[in-house]
Amino acid sequence: MTSVSEHTPNTHTNALFVDFVRLLREYGVPVGLRELLELNRGFEQGVVAGLDDLFIFMRLVFVKRVEHADGFERAFALYFYDIDIPAVAEGDYALFNTDQFQRWLEKEVREGRLPRRALWEFTPEELMKRFWDTLRQQMEEHHGGSRWVGTGGNSPFGHSGNAERGTRAMGASRNRSALKVIGDRRYIAYSDKNQLREENLRQALETMKHLKNEGPYSRLNLEQTIRTTARNGGEIDLVFERDLRDKISVVLLIDNGGYSMTPFVEITRLLFAKMHERFEDMTTLFFHNTVYERVWWDFRRTRAFPTEQLLLRKPDTRLVIVGDATMAPEELEARGGAIDNYHDFNRPPSIVWLKRLADRFPHTCWLNPLPREQWSHAHGAYTLRRVRTLFHMEDMTLGGIKGMVEHLSEK
Amino acid sequence: MEQYHFEGTDKYYLEPELKAVVNIALAMEKPLLLTGEAGTGKTQLALEAARALKLPVEMLRCKSTIKGEEACYTQDTVLRLNDARFGSGETGRHVHNFYDYVVWGPIGRAFRAEDKVVLLLDEIDKTESDVQDNLLDILEECQFTIREVNETVKAKVRPAIFITSNAKRELSDPFLRRCFCHHIAFPSPEDMRHIVALHYPDTHPKLLETAIAIFYELRERGFEKPPATSELLDWIGALEKTDTMPDPEFPPLTGILLKRSGDILRHRRGDVRRRQY
Repeated sequence: MTSVSEHTPNTHTNALFVDFVRLLREYGVPVGLRELLELNRGFEQGVVAGLDDLFIFMRLVFVKRVEHADGFERAFALYFYDIDIPAVAEGDYALFNTDQFQRWLEKEVREGRLPRRALWEFTPEELMKRFWDTLRQQMEEHHGGSRWVGTGGNSPFGHSGNAERGTRAMGASRNRSALKVIGDRRYIAYSDKNQLREENLRQALETMKHLKNEGPYSRLNLEQTIRTTARNGGEIDLVFERDLRDKISVVLLIDNGGYSMTPFVEITRLLFAKMHERFEDMTTLFFHNTVYERVWWDFRRTRAFPTEQLLLRKPDTRLVIVGDATMAPEELEARGGAIDNYHDFNRPPSIVWLKRLADRFPHTCWLNPLPREQWSHAHGAYTLRRVRTLFHMEDMTLGGIKGMVEHLSEK
Repeated sequence: MEQYHFEGTDKYYLEPELKAVVNIALAMEKPLLLTGEAGTGKTQLALEAARALKLPVEMLRCKSTIKGEEACYTQDTVLRLNDARFGSGETGRHVHNFYDYVVWGPIGRAFRAEDKVVLLLDEIDKTESDVQDNLLDILEECQFTIREVNETVKAKVRPAIFITSNAKRELSDPFLRRCFCHHIAFPSPEDMRHIVALHYPDTHPKLLETAIAIFYELRERGFEKPPATSELLDWIGALEKTDTMPDPEFPPLTGILLKRSGDILRHRRGDVRRRQY
């Protein structure tokens, strides 16, 4: 077993870790010079006696927030073991959009383990299972074989020999090996890239608590008043501060256009419903694909509500629109483009209505269930781009919810 | 320099990963910030580490009203005024001597100690963020200045610093950068067996196994407030007292495990929707 500390701290090793630091940045872990110096200090003190120690030590040095831990562990697996783990959790259908899955599928087809038409012949669940099985297998019998997911030996970092040298410690170590720890993916629930779901709802709620509206200067600050009055030589000087009861009104506008939206509709409603006591009032309305002169009160779209009425609400209402914003261009831009009202050419196109909403309510945010990575090339990317020129858009991950809250709280 | 190495104690099960974390932090003399779900034993870890290493503990229980300075020292001005007015008598204090009226806080005591101590800042996230910023440099340089006399107190021996946080409030980036941070993940079933065994060494193994199985199954169901370690320990204690063997279909005394009314109702309805993964 080659111990890492044997050839440290020389420039060669440092160069090795500079590449790793670059990779960490790519995986969303903020790393700076301070951390690198810390790393060197640790090597000098000899706290690292093998790859498993290195893993724990590096995580201590580089990961300062738990939401970065999963990114770090995936980067570590790629860099030191050449195992490319996708950012999604096992069982998440977002897997199909990851590069890792695409590369794996190509490779499986190329090498004849899957038929060319695998995407049609297999159920998504079956494909998913196969992918994760391959990944697990690699992690278990990590020996530099040829069945690796992803890089297929063409690692961009030119360290393919590294894994073989370093990982013989597996099992021999007194600690649980780094790879086994990574395989558990214990931090994925905290990752900013994680899709919003019931299990991490609490975390999103913590973020939502930052959503506040500062009221008028109506609360008397007694202590400050006494102080300034005394300083004023007894002339009374009243000091008021903003009232911090965060009573804001929220309108949730949800696209229930397709079945793909259904799980996200539930989770968003739940998220906002949990917060309702913090809101002055909350209204949920529905639309189909995009907004025209009417929106609806109910999920089945039987009770209509004129969009004009919606536009009469207070301008400081927080408008949160949930939808994938992908559709046929004419649905958004053409008169009579509505799919359920296509013969009416007298009404303005949807984009006009969206613009009116955006103009009336400066505090709006569009939550998109499509992961951010797909926005530029999703089916319907054109309309998505158009919508983005009007609304601040976030995806439905923990990070996205944070972004939304930040945006909605801006003054 | 003396090396400190923590191996866990008879009351605290130290899983290997956490052990490595603690020992690296001890070796590099960095403050170790522990975060994690309530009931994962963050505070306990620091206290047990101190006990195993035979070091005295200085503990600051943070409150939202704390200003930071009183963690280092306070000056008993009222006492000094009183002495100035009525004389200090037989007490040995002298009004002109500032240090006779200083009350040291936990950080002050830790820095002034002759030998290494464990300094525990418990639930740091309860403090205001500017308090954390004030503490930053104090902890990094292990010194603070007494404003009244402009004198610096510097630690003779760097204390082993443990900080815990429940993440009620986000800690600032500069603060995090100065610490080693470790999020204590929820214990795996094997780890849980070790933990439970430390608390209930005499309980029937079958009871423990069933209870742990039910416990993890409940956690899987995605309740809003999933039961944590301390709830499991209470539950096993209750099962032992009432001498019942839990039935996996209808676990008894679920009120100990589930706290939110919504969760309890969902459980009664037998809503067994599993996690997607």
